[in-house]
Amino acid sequence: MKTMSKIIAVHSYKGGTGKTLLSLNLAATFAKLGKRVAIFDLDFRAPSLASILKTENVEYWFNDYLNSTCDAKQVLVDLSFKVPGNGKFFAGLANPATEAIRDMSAKDRKWEMRALGRLLALKETLLKDQNFDYLVFDTSPGLQYSSINAIVAADFVVVATTGDRSDVEGTKRMLQELYSLFEKKTGLVLNKVLDSNFTATAKKSEMSSRVKTIYHVPMLGIVPCFCEILRAEGNLIFVEDKPDHPFTKIVAEMARKIENNEVN
Amino acid sequence: MIKNEILTKKPITIFEKIEASLERLNEKMEVIIEIQKNSNDNQRPVVTLPDASLDVMTLLSMPDHLRKTAMAICRCVRATAEEIAEQTSRARAVESAYLNQLVIMGYLKKERKGRKAYFYVDRETQG
Repeated sequence: MKTMSKIIAVHSYKGGTGKTLLSLNLAATFAKLGKRVAIFDLDFRAPSLASILKTENVEYWFNDYLNSTCDAKQVLVDLSFKVPGNGKFFAGLANPATEAIRDMSAKDRKWEMRALGRLLALKETLLKDQNFDYLVFDTSPGLQYSSINAIVAADFVVVATTGDRSDVEGTKRMLQELYSLFEKKTGLVLNKVLDSNFTATAKKSEMSSRVKTIYHVPMLGIVPCFCEILRAEGNLIFVEDKPDHPFTKIVAEMARKIENNEVN
Repeated sequence: MIKNEILTKKPITIFEKIEASLERLNEKMEVIIEIQKNSNDNQRPVVTLPDASLDVMTLLSMPDHLRKTAMAICRCVRATAEEIAEQTSRARAVESAYLNQLVIMGYLKKERKGRKAYFYVDRETQG
């Protein structure tokens, strides 16, 4: 039986919590499982996927799709060769040119409303007509239009957070005052965890229940602080580069939970 | 013969017109009831804007009961009160009231097709 196709948004309150790393590896994991996946860079203020994925000669950016100057299929860059297996891996990139960033930051409410419509339309054009299994939105941190649009359009939201106090407080507020209003299915990822005992099952379930009391949302996964991620200097698709790395296994477990609707 | 036809046809059209008017009246009554139910005493009247935008920040600032309806219509693009009711698991009459309220507030457009009323977000002509 084919599992239900989904739009997954990856979001966080603060920057540097690992959204892009998680988005990329979740998408790559799904592709590795034979799925048809597309990842979209919705961080129009600080686009990063174009350089991480080393794409050249991009004809249409995701900005163009939201501006209604091209259709969804035209922005997709086929990067299936980057992941093992016979799944499909596409990317819709945010334009990193300064001019484009300035243009995107000057949009008004009407434009943002239409952008939400364009994001929602992807369910029809990509999930249904083009048979995509997963669309992953890598968003911009904090409360801003492009991210909230992505959250509203998504079926499932992954929230990345760290142990930093300002991040914990902000994430808590964001979940209670924003996510709950939109009644979104959410899973929390604790990233950069320093506790070396985290793999012990007892420790894991203790952390999981702590997450539930603090954030009132289920935990999707715990990611320890890996120096290899910093050392990778942007070669972030661990699923491809380091298939046996613990991080790859952690993301595979997250993907499995999302796929089987086990986040609760 | 011709006279007979006119005689039978006319009452039917008249009845249909009456029915349609009653339906519209009913919807308006539902709106009034709902607005009264959800406004604290004599709080602000419903603001009517010609083309208010239904963007996410607006969704956020809406009262919970209206946000649920507005979110559902955002997902459907175009729907009847019955279709929205299916999504929100609330009564059709309640959704009809909220949808009409959103129309009055300028966030939605309404279009009648036969006996059905369709509600939609007018994303194209705005802005």
